[in-house]
Amino acid sequence: MLIQLIELEIGLLPAVAELETAIATRLQQHGEPLRWAITQIDPVRQIAHIEAVVTVGDDHSSP
Amino acid sequence: MQFVSQRPYTVMLIVPTGVGAAVGGYAGDALPVARAIAQVADRLITHPNVLNGAQLYWPLPNALYVEGYALDQFAAGRWGLRPVHQNRVGLVLDCGIEPDLRQRHLQAADATRATLGLSLSDYVVTDAPLGVTLQTAASGATWGTIQNPDSLLRAVDKLITQAGAEAIAVVVRFPDDEGSDALQQYRQGQGVDPLAGAEAVISHLVVRTFRVPCAHAPALLPLPLDPLLAPKSAAEELGHTFLPCVLVGLSRAPQIVSQIVSPIVDQTVGQTVGQMGTQNPAQPGDIWANQVDALVVPATACGGSAVLSLSQSRTRLITVGSNTTRMQVTAASLGLPAIAVNSYLEALGALVAHRAGIDPTALDPQLPALQPLDKTLNRKANGKC
Repeated sequence: MLIQLIELEIGLLPAVAELETAIATRLQQHGEPLRWAITQIDPVRQIAHIEAVVTVGDDHSSP
Repeated sequence: MQFVSQRPYTVMLIVPTGVGAAVGGYAGDALPVARAIAQVADRLITHPNVLNGAQLYWPLPNALYVEGYALDQFAAGRWGLRPVHQNRVGLVLDCGIEPDLRQRHLQAADATRATLGLSLSDYVVTDAPLGVTLQTAASGATWGTIQNPDSLLRAVDKLITQAGAEAIAVVVRFPDDEGSDALQQYRQGQGVDPLAGAEAVISHLVVRTFRVPCAHAPALLPLPLDPLLAPKSAAEELGHTFLPCVLVGLSRAPQIVSQIVSPIVDQTVGQTVGQMGTQNPAQPGDIWANQVDALVVPATACGGSAVLSLSQSRTRLITVGSNTTRMQVTAASLGLPAIAVNSYLEALGALVAHRAGIDPTALDPQLPALQPLDKTLNRKANGKC
């Protein structure tokens, strides 16, 4: 298993529920999310900056 | 006078870890806030970063100690919380901890058994050094990773399946880095906790995998005396470990219950035709997100998962301006309705008013008359309010 920090941008959506779904979908493309947050909003470009920690490859069998 | 429909007034308090929160970004310095809120609420749901003060802690009978990943799942409605009287706590020790330092942690654990009466299982040492690395993200938030997460999960698995542990305390060897600017700033009550992001990753991983309460204490060598040590960082320099508060918190942390629905499949056509079931039969004391009456967060840290989840419910969002962070996401920037206050003292007032069913505007000297809805909507459309 690898733990990675990823940073991405998502266009703001009118409804919070839609924004959450969009964030979850984008994060799943990179791995299984452990922690994420919108860290900054660009009001001009209507973009949300997100930082997230994801895991890739889930296997904790014995060495 | 008795009110028939009263329900417990439940407040969630979040101070994200590793974001340089002016209150709560140091050594349990948000604990006074938690203590105050616990006086005005029937139940307080908060997380280890708020309640942990290393050697210091405060037992709050109406506070629920909920790890951050579990908090996010709870806020999203996927997990519930089941209060307990006691958890049997299992201790995972990183094999990368030096023998003397390991012994200090075991003595701290034994002290909580003898002096506080906590229930601990036998401990497990990981089969490989977990290997922490620390980094800072572009936002200024700290984060980190461990090189051998699978070793951590194997150790936790043993504690749960073989030792009967119901909650997990993890102690991982962190880099000492005594002379670093980040540490020096932290000791002066400034900057961002350099360890916090990595600590969150560790406990999140355990909770996500095993759905049990978990918290982390870093293993570090003692620092030399600093006469200028800031009061809000002082709690972490009183002893040899950060473990006591973790064990106390976990000893009564609520268990996690989940709503897992199983599909009912029509075998003749292979189609799902319905759903049924919950993983755990519901109990009267279970707590779900729709019971959270208010959420208190720093004003610039509204971009987290739990805030976004609860903003879509009846939960009243209260943002605190004086608790600055490295994040730059206000409620307004996301279009989230919120009560914006300047301080936690004001937040307490907002909670009292909310609990009493009082519109905060009624407490101002000037109260404008009601307006026709059309007029208000027109003003909003024209940007006039």
